[in-house]
Amino acid sequence: MSLSNLIQNWNSFRTRRPYEGQYDEAPYKWAMVIDLDSCIGCNACTVACYAENNLPVVGKERFGKGQAMHWIRIERYWGADEAKATEFPERGAEYLPMLCQQCEAAPCEPVCPVGATHHSPDGLNTQVYNRCVGSRYCSANCPYKVRYFNWWNYPDQAWPNPLELQLNPDVTVRSKGVMEKCTFCVQRLRAGMDKAKTEGRILADGEVLTACAQACPTSAITFGNWADKKSKVARMWKNQQVNLAKNSQEKSEEGIRGYRILEDLNTYPSIVYLERLRNLEA
Amino acid sequence: MNYGKRIFLWIMLFWIGSAQVFAEPFVQGGPIGSQTSDGYDALGPVVEQPIEFPHNTHAGRMQINCMYCHTYARRSNVSGIPRLDKCMGCHNLIEGVKDRPRIKKLFEYWENKQPIPWKKVHDLPDFVRFNHERHIQRFYFQEKRPIRETCGYCHGDVASMTTARRVKALSMGWCVSCHQKDHLEKVGSTVTSHGPNDCWLCHK
Repeated sequence: MSLSNLIQNWNSFRTRRPYEGQYDEAPYKWAMVIDLDSCIGCNACTVACYAENNLPVVGKERFGKGQAMHWIRIERYWGADEAKATEFPERGAEYLPMLCQQCEAAPCEPVCPVGATHHSPDGLNTQVYNRCVGSRYCSANCPYKVRYFNWWNYPDQAWPNPLELQLNPDVTVRSKGVMEKCTFCVQRLRAGMDKAKTEGRILADGEVLTACAQACPTSAITFGNWADKKSKVARMWKNQQVNLAKNSQEKSEEGIRGYRILEDLNTYPSIVYLERLRNLEA
Repeated sequence: MNYGKRIFLWIMLFWIGSAQVFAEPFVQGGPIGSQTSDGYDALGPVVEQPIEFPHNTHAGRMQINCMYCHTYARRSNVSGIPRLDKCMGCHNLIEGVKDRPRIKKLFEYWENKQPIPWKKVHDLPDFVRFNHERHIQRFYFQEKRPIRETCGYCHGDVASMTTARRVKALSMGWCVSCHQKDHLEKVGSTVTSHGPNDCWLCHK
């Protein structure tokens, strides 16, 4: 960000995000919907992400220390009393794919001392590896715990010859001491946006998918351009009555399932989860 | 002058000398004054190619469009080094120059069925995503600037060189210095826009 840009666009930088109509003029705003009732916890999204984004496999010991580098992980929860009441208590696991929520008011951004993470005009929470000095403030401030730190120099150890040939050339191989996180497969988005721009249009719905959405066998993950009001993801947000710029959603009827995780922290995530709401007390 | 003082002076001299060597961000070469103080016009090292390819003959005297050989520039991230059969497509038919040493070398590669191991001159770091297509589409096809000028912003006047040599810094500050300028959107239009300014459009 240059100084002249900072001065010229001072107002827009100072405006509290998000606000109503923020993306009305913008061509792109990337968003996601994850249907938890469809998710079967198969981890295909995680595997796809490892392959697409050059994520290192850290091994059992480091995984135990919490140093795993999975940008998308499946969180498993046991569905409280509901399952235990039946004769199959081992059943009833519930899965929640957790990835960077690309928050509109991301808690990780203002705490970065070197400006390595910021918000892009198309609504992505970016991480620039070259700027990152590894202070790890962002990870500490992330309520979803989806930022991963390179404790080790994985380029030297994670892909012994000839495995380095599997690396995706469109994604940087991160070195020791930098933070990394889900990018919504920005390399695919940028390639698609360039192609569309040359052809003088904006990307069609479903033309570009993230690796996780592409790999999901039950189509639980829907990804798309939220700024395009006709896209599938924008329609789902609307049908689920989720407003990007509000921190609590009012539903007109009971059956509407859409919610965003930890909304009350005012993070304004870009990912809506669909889950049947149950009252276990009753 | 006593002994200690002399040693001290030598050390100081050496230190100043080495500091200057390390402070220079780009490899120096070429005539004095070819580098500006900000490093934006930084002459790269001489790259010795397997065949001393005369760009000045092809692009300069013969006026061949850059994209005749670097054919992917208008539709891909990379501009591409032409394959050997591209060279042979013309040179098979040009009888007049077949006895020249460089063309003989070319035919040698062709008969041995070996690709020519060209060396990369303009090499960006792996964390940078540069798209030739967008730049060529914008400035050559949309704005109708001459091809020699369009390519020349980053590659210099290759049509006056033999083998290409890097003449621009290809550093981030140098990229941004052009992205901040207002460029006309189309030929004849007054609408201007500048290049993208977001980190994640170039950094990957």
